Amino acid sequence: MEGAAAPGQRVDTLALVETPEGIVLSLQPAGLVARTMAFLLDLAIRMGVDLVLVLVMGAWGGLGGGFILIGLFSVEWLYPIVFELSRWGATPGKRAAGLRVVMDTGLPITPAASFTRNLLRVADFLPLAYAFGIVTMLLNRECKRLGDLAAGTLVVHANPVVLHDAPPPGAPLAPARPLNAREQAAILSWAGRAKRLTPARFEELAQLAAPVLPPVQADEPKRAPAERLLGVAQWLMGRRA
Amino acid sequence: MTPMRFEAEYGALWNEFAEQLALARTGKPVDGALLAARYRRMCENLALAQSRAYPIHLVARLEALAQDAHQLIYRRQDYGLHRLGRLLRVELPRAVRAEARYVLLALVLFALPMALSFVLALKGPDFALHLLEANQLRSFEQMYADGKHAVGPKVREASSDWQMFGYYIFNNIGIGFRAFGAGILAGVGSAFVLLYNGLFFGVVAGHLTRVGLGHNFWPFVCTHSAFELTGIVLSGAAGLRMGLGWLSPGRMTRLEALRASALAAVPLVYAAFFLLLVAAGFEAFWSGTPWIAPQVKYTVAGVCWVLVLAWLLLLGRKAKHAR
Repeated sequence: MEGAAAPGQRVDTLALVETPEGIVLSLQPAGLVARTMAFLLDLAIRMGVDLVLVLVMGAWGGLGGGFILIGLFSVEWLYPIVFELSRWGATPGKRAAGLRVVMDTGLPITPAASFTRNLLRVADFLPLAYAFGIVTMLLNRECKRLGDLAAGTLVVHANPVVLHDAPPPGAPLAPARPLNAREQAAILSWAGRAKRLTPARFEELAQLAAPVLPPVQADEPKRAPAERLLGVAQWLMGRRA
Repeated sequence: MTPMRFEAEYGALWNEFAEQLALARTGKPVDGALLAARYRRMCENLALAQSRAYPIHLVARLEALAQDAHQLIYRRQDYGLHRLGRLLRVELPRAVRAEARYVLLALVLFALPMALSFVLALKGPDFALHLLEANQLRSFEQMYADGKHAVGPKVREASSDWQMFGYYIFNNIGIGFRAFGAGILAGVGSAFVLLYNGLFFGVVAGHLTRVGLGHNFWPFVCTHSAFELTGIVLSGAAGLRMGLGWLSPGRMTRLEALRASALAAVPLVYAAFFLLLVAAGFEAFWSGTPWIAPQVKYTVAGVCWVLVLAWLLLLGRKAKHAR
């Protein structure tokens, strides 16, 4: 079929996980750019905290010096761990970028995994500027750096992008024959994209489904095939007359 | 059932559930039983919607709700003191014993170079100069000298103790964490940290003893070394566990082996973290105090060594701890 993915090619990067409730969730792993943005935001926040720490504590002599160093240690090592284990499951930078860290199973991150993935930043950073981490992220399907591979974690988009809306309103129209589940799903998906496709492409796709349209009745107002198919979609949604 | 009827029937439930979830995520107390019941109901709806190929906007809405709830409901909450106590009393010593092979390997990689460089540095001045710069050695000699510049035995202000505490935390625990993280490179990074630190400690100790400053050096290091040296060995062992674990994966794939060995290594990192924290406390507030007689320090050091070894070797052995 034209346009279908050949074996070994993928349509999307979704990671499907089954939950204990027996449902399948599709997680959207975050790519290099989103994660870099989050990292830079976190870096700015951390540097800001360090700066405030030094300015405030610097005046306190030796005691302040001790607190500065303890603070620098916490900001460097414990900041990501503490925030990932919080109820947001993400550092402030990741939250702002709409990301969160979860286990491969879709469960919230565990302390052991958070320690692993954050202490392994040491290895991801090598030889400089997170080179190992970036190469590893680009090489595997779920965009994991070394720390994620070892900890079994995923960085995912917290609010998945949905490109489908409810089908636009229209007078319902019964299809010419009973439709199986796949056909129903195809027509409903098509109708859900009404706002996002160009009218010409929308019409073109509707032509593919022309065989399921019933013959035009004498008393029926004149409508384009796309409008009639939208009527079928409304009928499938459950609207009757 | 048509999608519209489905939504009309259960839409109210989803809205209520979403509201309750939003409330719970802000940290406010909610009726947990009701939340769980609604969650199960909603998962049922989601499974139905998926299997009946309902419109994508409907399924996506339910799935987003399920993911948020999933994160909230399965989040670990047992971070109390009780959990910490069990970790320290039972789980960490057990984990260390379970990985005894790697701990011994790390010990050899650390203690052997340390003993060797200690003996060589004790014998003559040449060896120390091979490893360290002359001015480094001189600054160590000054540190432990009898004069007023000494960092070791001298009267320090309390605030300066705090500064050293901060420094030891920042520096030493950082080294421990790096020794673990660098271990993912097939254990090479950890082995390097162990060898390097072993050689360094040995040469400094040997050199200072040779030039006759041992009476200042040994009382200073004896106590916190019980925690610090063990901490370094354990963090190196954790790195070796992870690196060698994926190098020889056995019947697992390498990725699975990496995941499993990282999981097994984490308790060792916790133990090292704890030990290095205690070491920093001792080093800052106890080791440098000049009014405590060396004999007292040696006695306390002996007790500390016994305690650390007893912690790692004996605690958590009883079957009643089994879960």
